[in-house]
Formats: sequence, structure tokens, C-alpha cells
Amino acid sequence: MNVLIIEDEKALARELEIFLTNYNYICEVCFDGESASEKVAVNLYDFILIDLGLPDYEGLDLLKEARKNNPDAACIILTARAEIYDRIKGLDMGADDYLAKPFSLLELQSRMQAITRRKFGLKNNIIELGDFLVDLTERIISYNNAVISTITKKEFDLVAYLILHKNRTVTRNQLSEHIWGSIINDDYDSNYIDAHIKNIRKKLNAYSPPEWLETVRGLGYKIRINA
Amino acid sequence: MKLRTKLTLFNTISKLVIVTLFVSILPVLIKTINRNYTDSRLRKEKDKVLQTVKNLGIKYYIQNGEGYAGYTPIKDSYVSLDADSLDENLDTIRNEERRVEGDTIQYRILSHDFDVNKEKYLLEIGISLDSVNEESGPLQNIVFVVLVGMIILTIVADQLYSNYVLKPLSLIIKTKLVGNKFPNFGIYKEVKTSTSDFQHLDISIHQMIETIENAFQKEREFISNASHELMTPISILQSKIENMFEQEDIADELKVRLLEMQRILNRLKSITKTLLLISQIENEQFLREDKIPVNELLQEVYDEISIRLQDKNISFKIDVPANVVLVNVNKFLLFNLFFNLINNAIKYNREGGEIRVEALHENNQFVVKVIDTGIGISAADLPYIFNRFKKLKQSLQQDSFGLGLPIVKSIADFHHIKIEVESEKNVGSTFKLIFSPELIG
Repeated sequence: MNVLIIEDEKALARELEIFLTNYNYICEVCFDGESASEKVAVNLYDFILIDLGLPDYEGLDLLKEARKNNPDAACIILTARAEIYDRIKGLDMGADDYLAKPFSLLELQSRMQAITRRKFGLKNNIIELGDFLVDLTERIISYNNAVISTITKKEFDLVAYLILHKNRTVTRNQLSEHIWGSIINDDYDSNYIDAHIKNIRKKLNAYSPPEWLETVRGLGYKIRINA
Repeated sequence: MKLRTKLTLFNTISKLVIVTLFVSILPVLIKTINRNYTDSRLRKEKDKVLQTVKNLGIKYYIQNGEGYAGYTPIKDSYVSLDADSLDENLDTIRNEERRVEGDTIQYRILSHDFDVNKEKYLLEIGISLDSVNEESGPLQNIVFVVLVGMIILTIVADQLYSNYVLKPLSLIIKTKLVGNKFPNFGIYKEVKTSTSDFQHLDISIHQMIETIENAFQKEREFISNASHELMTPISILQSKIENMFEQEDIADELKVRLLEMQRILNRLKSITKTLLLISQIENEQFLREDKIPVNELLQEVYDEISIRLQDKNISFKIDVPANVVLVNVNKFLLFNLFFNLINNAIKYNREGGEIRVEALHENNQFVVKVIDTGIGISAADLPYIFNRFKKLKQSLQQDSFGLGLPIVKSIADFHHIKIEVESEKNVGSTFKLIFSPELIG
């Protein structure tokens, strides 16, 4: 899939490019609004990531142009301004999603995946994990066709996030940010992810040991799925 | 006491004192005036009689050695002229009794001896004291009534005028000082007055407020700008660390250190985001248009926070009426308010402790209490708990930077929710949120 990254912070644009390339996206990078405007006029993209705070261009104008010339592209707004009005305005003008800086790269990728699933209607939404089946659309985990109802919403979120980044170690920080990112509080080091994982293991163990859910010592967690 | 009340009181009292004094000396005054007037009348009468004697001779009055006496019919005055056998020369005016046709009457009497043709005569002219004093009673009453009337009139006039002249002052107090939420004073509106002192006061207060407001505005802008500016470098660092973490050729040992870096970056991010949130709230950048049932909101907070309760084995009870809906609020902010309040109740609680959230209607307000069985706050620390970055001694071992309660406070202020805190050391704390009727649907 083709991604256009419009970001005037070169260092950040570079990291986005490295990361998305790693996830098999084909990336193009623009550091200013002028060249981005030309690019969206001539090329077709699947994703356009727009930094709203461009020095030479009104970000929302660029969004309008992108919408017009690339009607099928999914636009994601990246901004450090984080003002709610921008957020509302951006979504009104046809942005598919919005990420406030600083964001986790994994979060960006999961948002892009979610859009892909929505836009391109990916059918393969049921993942096989050992003896368990995880339905990402219905948001349920089942064992032998029986739904495991004890799994809470938060716990499912964690499993789904790990599935999305399968075979990679996801750190506690990244998981915390995904689960509690929108809550503003003054804890910086509290780790309740371990408690959640413990609960998930306990609940699943009643049916079959979830060996696919691995603890990477000192680093985080990983769901192993053999392709 | 209000200035106006003081002025009125002083006016009334001073006038009453003066009038009382005046009224009490009035009888003496009137008596003196009356006497002087009577005496001069008597002297005039005497001169008239002497003139007559000089012009027409003593015979006009006295014939055949018989004295002259004349009374007015109601006996309020008389004139008598007779030969005087005494040696002394009388020329006096005094009060004396005389019997006239059987009545004893008090007279003011002028006695005057004079010689005519070597004969000595005594002239007496009397005016009855009753007739002298009979006007003084009613006069006194009239004076009293007129004075009281005048006093009432002047007090009313004083009151009206001081009301009028002090109106700008009360306007200044009402609109500039009382009821203004510090530091949000709103726009300046000149208080119209021709009193230069008040003009000076008004403009001075305005200038002071403007200075304070500017300072606050600058501080808010600075925090807002600083945190915005920090977001981009934090974002770059975070992306770099995440990308490095994903590289396969990096040893686990290094990855652990990368993780530590990320944790520290997280701390920076957390502080920056919190400061930004507080500055955005203070800059009124949030809407108050949401409507949410209280118990639904608390349930959402519980869903997010239950893992922390479980971690510390804390029991959690919500006792809230089912039908209470909060209106004109910002849901995101209120969620964060309750999250931080309950999160604090967990953080400073003991293992196996208890947290209760109770709600009730009090008068026409709605009160939500968050009660914990935690370490409590000492009375000395209590005034400072809402200060930014203020860490209390007993909370030093916690992984927090002292912005939890400032978030709570700024969200509460934004919604005009009153917070009251009661706490007892080693027993627990109660945070009471008081919602005004406008927030209850």
C-alpha cells in the first residue's frame, strides 16, 4: 500500500518512513505543503498522513485538496496542537482519523489497520490462536465454538493489539498507551498491564493453556502466530 | 458595617443630639426672652405714664389724695399710682403676688418712685405672669414639631444623596471585586461617576486587575506554548526509540535500556500532557455540552480502574441514585476528574482498604463523595494539596509528580463544581464534589 507522509519535522518523517516500510508500506515523504500539494494532485495513495502544523501551508486546506484528488485515500491527521476544535474540524472535513503528537508508532499502525479493515472490507477477521478463535469484528474469543464471556473489554483490547503486532514484542509502555492513552493522570510508572495479562492467562487456562501469549522477560509481551 | 450605614447613623445621631440639646434649653430660652420682652413693655408703659404726668400733671391720675388704679377686665395687667410714704427710692422689676378682687395673681411688677412738687409717688405697673407664659407652652410644642419634621426631612435627604453619591462605590465593589472568579475578570466596564475619588479607585482597580490578568494570561500562554513545543521533540524521540526497539540486531540487554529510556520519556510526556490539559482548561478551550448519567460515568471510570483496585485488593462501592443526569458538562473532563480522584484514593489507600462513592441531593445541590480508608492528609498539608507539583511527605514513595489533584481542581473550577476535603491522618480522606443545580438535568 502507498503512503504519503507529509511532515515538516524531518527526523520524525524519517522515523515514520522507516517504521511503515518495515510494515511493508511503500512510503513517499514530503517536508512541506507545496510539494505535498503537487504530489496529491498527480499520484494516488492509499494513506495520506498530514501534519497540520506545516509552516508554509494551511493543513486543513491540504486535507481538502487530498480529499478532492485522492477520494479513495484514507487521511490521518497528525498534530501537536491537540486542540479539540481542530479535531472536530478535521474529522468534519473528511479525515479518517486523528492522532495527537506524541503518539506511538504502533498506535499509528493499528489505526491504519483499522481503516484498512473498514475501507477495504478485509474478510479475514477471525484469527486462530492455538485452540482459540479470536473474532476481531465481533470482539469475542471462543473455544470449541463456545464464547468465553469472562474476557472483559479491556482484556480483549490487549489481545487484539498484540495480534495486530503479532510476532513482535510490544512493550508495557506501548500497551499502556493503547489502553489508557486518553486518560490524563499523574502516574508515570504504574504498570497494570501485567495484572491484565495475568487475568487473561488465568481465564484462558481454564480451557487450554494459551502458550501463544509469551512474556518477553523484562521487555513486554508477544503473541506468536505461525504464518 | 457599610459606609452608607455608618454615614446615616452618624447623621441621625448627631442631629438627634443637637435637637435634644436645643429642645431641652428651649424653656429657659423662651422664659428669658419673654421676661426681657415683658420688662421692656413695662418700661415703655412707665415712660408713657411719666410723660402723661409731665404733660398733664399728677392731677390727671390723683385727685383729692386718692390713688389711681386701673385693671383690664381679665386682670392680666394693671397700673396703680399712689402717694408713697416710704423713704427708699424704688425702681425695680420683680415677680410678686397681688390680690385683686379676691384672686391671688402672680404679676411681673415694675415699681418706680418719683417726685412731683416735692411729693413722692409710687408707680406700679403689673403684667400677670400667666399671660406672659401662656404662649410659651404652645410655642415650645410648635418648635419641637417643626424641628422633628426638619430632622426627618434632612435625614431622608441625606440618605438619598449619600445613596446617590455612594452608588458608584457599591457598583465598583459589586462588579469589580465581589463575585469575580480569580483570575478571570472579564472585560472592563467603566463605572460612571462624577466623584473623582471613585473614578480614581475604579481605574486603579482596573489597572491592577489588568496587570494580574496579564500575568496570568502570560503564564497560561507560556505553559500552553511550552507544552506544545515539547510535543514534537518528544514525538521524535519516542518514534526513534520504538524503531530501534524493533530492530532485530539489537541485543536484549540494550533493549532493556531502551525501555528504560522510553519509560522516562513517558514521564516527560505525561507531565507535558497534563500541563497542556490544565492550560487548555484554564483557557476555556473545552465545551460544556455533554449530558451523562452519573452512574454511567462512574461505571466507565470503574471499568478503566478496576485492575488497580484488584491489584491492591481494595473494595469499591458505588452508591449513587440511578436517575441523576449531569448536563452542561464536558464528559472527557469529568471522566478524568473522577478517574484522578478515585486513582488517588487507590494510590494512597492501604492494602485491602475500601473506597466508597456516595451521592445525594443536599438542598438543591447534588453532592458526590469519594471516601477512602487511606493514609489521610495532615491538617498542615491540607491547604496545599491542589498546588501543582506539590508533593506531600507521605506520598513521596508514589510514582507520581503531584499533578493529579491540580487536574481535579481545574476541571472542577471549569464546571463551577465546589470541592471540599475532609481528612484524618491514618484514617482516610473524603473528597466532596458539590454540583450546582445548573449541572443537574
